[in-house]
Amino acid sequence: MLLVGLALAAPAAAQDAPALSIRPFVLGAGQSFAAVDTFDAVFGRSYDVFFGGGVQVVVQDRFYFEGTASRFTQKGQRAFRSGGQNFRLGIPLTATIIPFEVTAGYRFHLSPRLRPYIAAGVGTYGYKETSEFSDPAENVDVRHVGFVANGGAEFRLHRWLGLGADVQYTHVPGILGVSGVSQQAGENDLGGVAARLKLIVGR
Amino acid sequence: MPGFRARTAAATLGVAAALVLTLRGQAPDARPFFQIADIGLPAVEEGGAVWNESHVPWTSQARARRAAAVELVRAGVSGRSYATGKVIVRFRDEVAAEERRSIVRQASSTGEIATRRPYADFDVVRINPGEDAEAVAAGLNLRPQVLYAQAAYRVHATFVPNDPQYADLQWNLRLVNMEKAWDIQPQAGSSITVAVIDTGVAYRNATFSVNLRSFTHSGIRYPALGVQTIPYAAAPQLVGGSGSGRVVSPYDVISSGGNAPFDFDGHGTHVSGTIGQLTNDGIAVAGIAFNVKLMPVKVLGSFWDVIFGTAPSDGGSDDDVATGIRYAADNGAKIINMSLGSTGPPDCATNSNKFGCSPVVESAMKYAVGKGAFIVVAGGNEFEDNDPQFGANPTSVLAEIASRINGAVSVAAVDPSKNRAYYSSTGKYIEIAAPGGTSRGFGRNGFVFQQTFDFNFTDTFDPTVVPPSQYRAPRFDLLGTIGVTGTSMAAPHVAGIAAMLMQQGITDPAAIEEALEKSAVPLSLTGGDSCPPGTSAVAPRTCSFGFGLVDARNALRGLGLAR
Repeated sequence: MLLVGLALAAPAAAQDAPALSIRPFVLGAGQSFAAVDTFDAVFGRSYDVFFGGGVQVVVQDRFYFEGTASRFTQKGQRAFRSGGQNFRLGIPLTATIIPFEVTAGYRFHLSPRLRPYIAAGVGTYGYKETSEFSDPAENVDVRHVGFVANGGAEFRLHRWLGLGADVQYTHVPGILGVSGVSQQAGENDLGGVAARLKLIVGR
Repeated sequence: MPGFRARTAAATLGVAAALVLTLRGQAPDARPFFQIADIGLPAVEEGGAVWNESHVPWTSQARARRAAAVELVRAGVSGRSYATGKVIVRFRDEVAAEERRSIVRQASSTGEIATRRPYADFDVVRINPGEDAEAVAAGLNLRPQVLYAQAAYRVHATFVPNDPQYADLQWNLRLVNMEKAWDIQPQAGSSITVAVIDTGVAYRNATFSVNLRSFTHSGIRYPALGVQTIPYAAAPQLVGGSGSGRVVSPYDVISSGGNAPFDFDGHGTHVSGTIGQLTNDGIAVAGIAFNVKLMPVKVLGSFWDVIFGTAPSDGGSDDDVATGIRYAADNGAKIINMSLGSTGPPDCATNSNKFGCSPVVESAMKYAVGKGAFIVVAGGNEFEDNDPQFGANPTSVLAEIASRINGAVSVAAVDPSKNRAYYSSTGKYIEIAAPGGTSRGFGRNGFVFQQTFDFNFTDTFDPTVVPPSQYRAPRFDLLGTIGVTGTSMAAPHVAGIAAMLMQQGITDPAAIEEALEKSAVPLSLTGGDSCPPGTSAVAPRTCSFGFGLVDARNALRGLGLAR
């Protein structure tokens, strides 16, 4: 009912927007991982960057569906955790995370140039882990479903260009926590909280 | 000028004769053992492989050797044997010297506090050898000024031997995945010092002049041989070639540093070989952490030590072991290997001052771990023992202490089939397993081979080695690749791997223990676990293997985020 009411009360500026708009974008995100101790043990820090892009389908300048693909990769060292201490063993390790996320959201009409929005959805998260001195069966290549929610605002730079900034929360169970440092740390969520910037092309 | 030459030659001969006579004269009754250190011919390295069942646990030969050991010990109420004539006491720091003497005199009318040895935080009280040391200790323990008092319980080497080339004979190193471990860490522990608390190590050349008097052994009277010149050689596979300079801070606890820690038994040298025998040199067999520095710390005497006068008895006692541990920790050892032990009561965890327990060793071990040293203790060879006081499969006291200290581990032994070695003691105090070898069922391929003395030339007192009619002075310059078995051989595997793990980046002793245990490979229990009656281990541990077989590659490789 709330969404219906909002859709009926379209502001004047929205009368210029097309009924259906397809808008590609690129994005960069700085993420703080939920598995703080795990990432700190292997990489020396628990935050890092993702780069990617996607496409939005906006309906009536209010409802939208968004598909996003991004990628994180980082090199660290195999480690051991004991008594709250991390010991890095000098054996190179590379971790790669590739999320594919689909969300549905709503854009608020606060002003002609500013569009706050909220969204939620699901994603499939691929995780790869390779190390020196590993047998092939000891490397990791898995994918698991996760959940995502975000909220932020889009600033219209130009009729055809917008800049979005938001905060996104992801929860990705099923990959960490079964073995490895994550099991020692008792952490099983590959998600986290990210601050994202999107450069959006389209009306 | 002929006359001058004749006079010069005569004078030279006269001086030489005087020197010879003087040297011999310095090896009299008053001083039977005279050491000319650092003068000696290099070792003769024998080819082939030798294994010697006279040292195998619980063979008739081994029982005869133990029975013939020089007895300066007594079995106490606890059931553990102790060295007579002394009691170990730790007073509270604030107790003044005069009060300590008074307390000692009240416990024993003959009690005198000896001069404290270097690296000891305890006192040794000399008493009449006829007194009951445990009773004196019990009296002292009643005093509030005393933290603990104990008899000087005896410890002994837990060892059994065998030979040659790595591919042919060293099943033990392959069993713990050493080849892949060396791939990960080719430098094999180069910055780590490992203390070998044992019978000493053959680490330097020497020549000894010894007055070999007559003695009785195994019921046989051996004649006096008079003054003998006995050669002693450093083990080339430990200190030769690239190994020169690797021995650091050697120390003989028994003489409080008065003598060098020469190994007159072969046990400590063999143990050192498993830890760090030179490798990739095209000679003999390999060692695990073949670039580590070695610290010989002699706490155990041997038969020849007694004859030479360099130790009061075969084996050692708790005060020597505790002092050795403290010395090692204070002098930079980061790994301490203790292939020694003795049996005692199973409940020292709840009452460390009970007769038969070793609070002095426990305190020293905690001290060493506190200084960053990781300790490895042999789990004991007494599974088939039936002790009149402690029953079947008695507890190995020092191994049990290790199991209660984070940063110290007790090690059981497995055979080439990854079964528990028949002699390896079991109990919930066993934490990990490593190859110790066996004399049953595998022939020569069951032994653990490293370079040490050829027993045929050192154990000339042993009628199973050399017939009494052929008794001769020993020589310690003939070394070979010798096969032995025992938890004494298992422990140095863990010590060597721990040294590599410390080099790899895990520098905390408790973390090393956790890493070794978590990376160990669980072993199947053929016929079930062999826990002592009324006890059991908490899964995933077992009484036979602890957390399982140590795996060097798994330990060094560590963990990724997800696997």
